Amino acid sequence: MTGASSDGRAAGPDDGLVLDLTASVAPILELHDVRAGYDGIDVLHGVDLVVAPGQVVAILGPNGAGKSTTLKVLAGLHPVSAGDVIVAGRRINGARPDDLARRGLCLIPEGRGIFPNLTVRENLWMMTHRGRRLAEVEERSVTRFAQLGKCMDQTAGTLSGGQQQMLAMARGLATDPALLVLDELSMGLAPIVVDQLYETVGQVAAEGTSILLVEQFARIVMDVAHVAAVMVAGRIVETGRPRDLEASLSQAYLGG
Amino acid sequence: MLHNSERVEQFTAEIAEMKLPDTATSRDRTLLRVGVVLMVAGVVTTIVAYAISHDTLNPLQQRDAIVIALGGLSMTVVGSALFLRYSIAQFLRFWLARLSWEQQAQTDRVVDAVRGDKVG
Repeated sequence: MTGASSDGRAAGPDDGLVLDLTASVAPILELHDVRAGYDGIDVLHGVDLVVAPGQVVAILGPNGAGKSTTLKVLAGLHPVSAGDVIVAGRRINGARPDDLARRGLCLIPEGRGIFPNLTVRENLWMMTHRGRRLAEVEERSVTRFAQLGKCMDQTAGTLSGGQQQMLAMARGLATDPALLVLDELSMGLAPIVVDQLYETVGQVAAEGTSILLVEQFARIVMDVAHVAAVMVAGRIVETGRPRDLEASLSQAYLGG
Repeated sequence: MLHNSERVEQFTAEIAEMKLPDTATSRDRTLLRVGVVLMVAGVVTTIVAYAISHDTLNPLQQRDAIVIALGGLSMTVVGSALFLRYSIAQFLRFWLARLSWEQQAQTDRVVDAVRGDKVG
């Protein structure tokens, strides 16, 4: 478990972190038999998934398996046709995405979701809606991603892909999310940049934030995720420790 | 596995307080639309039945047309009832909210007036 072992400390009540070895706490996210689709055609055929507080769960699977749709559904961006989306113990089917985001469910979408015509600073400014001052947001962002400090007044659309993804993550983390949802973080990025970004994901997980991430390239998340779920054709077909699922993953990607 | 218990508790509390869209409102809207459709379809059916009856001298066909016309009229009555029920429900909700607000404003005025007297 990366979160506990990376820093090797058992957190005390002073810093609000709780070492949970039993996973007996109530889940922060549950999907029960969730179905959803586009134009009457079902894409999700009954997805079941549980994310415990502080857990890093990776949904892995081939292109078109319904991974991104699952994230859109739980973030309130896409309607559920059947089933239950339960966040922090409450059924939230039909909740507005901005309501969920304001409370701490942060989705970093595929394609980064930054404002390309605004500067890096202005993009960060957008994330002061939880009452945090811009200076504080900037400081936190630069602490995590030093590269952003050098281009605060640069237009976000002119940044490199890696820098844009860093900005997207900085924006998400500035809101102090309780549940961070990452969609294809590695999309279109150089392997070295992807490694850097996943290092940050590992740090965020070690700080106790629950993370649900979707990746097409399974090997990247093997060291970060506590639990992996293999998704094929709109269903979670297997869940377990990432290393134990390598055979299922090969079958999912290669068929047969 | 570590988790930030304070943040999770805060998140749980905020999610519990979050307002979700009222499913009853969307159901009311659907039934209101069904009412309108039934009203229009009922009238159209009745007119068509009249046309069928008018164009024939065969009493069997005319009796069939009468039955169809009665069905159309029933649809219109049911549609009207649904429309009235759910359009009035919307209006009543608004009216009740307005009434509550006016009552509160009136109470505030009375309280202000009483306090003004005491101060004076």
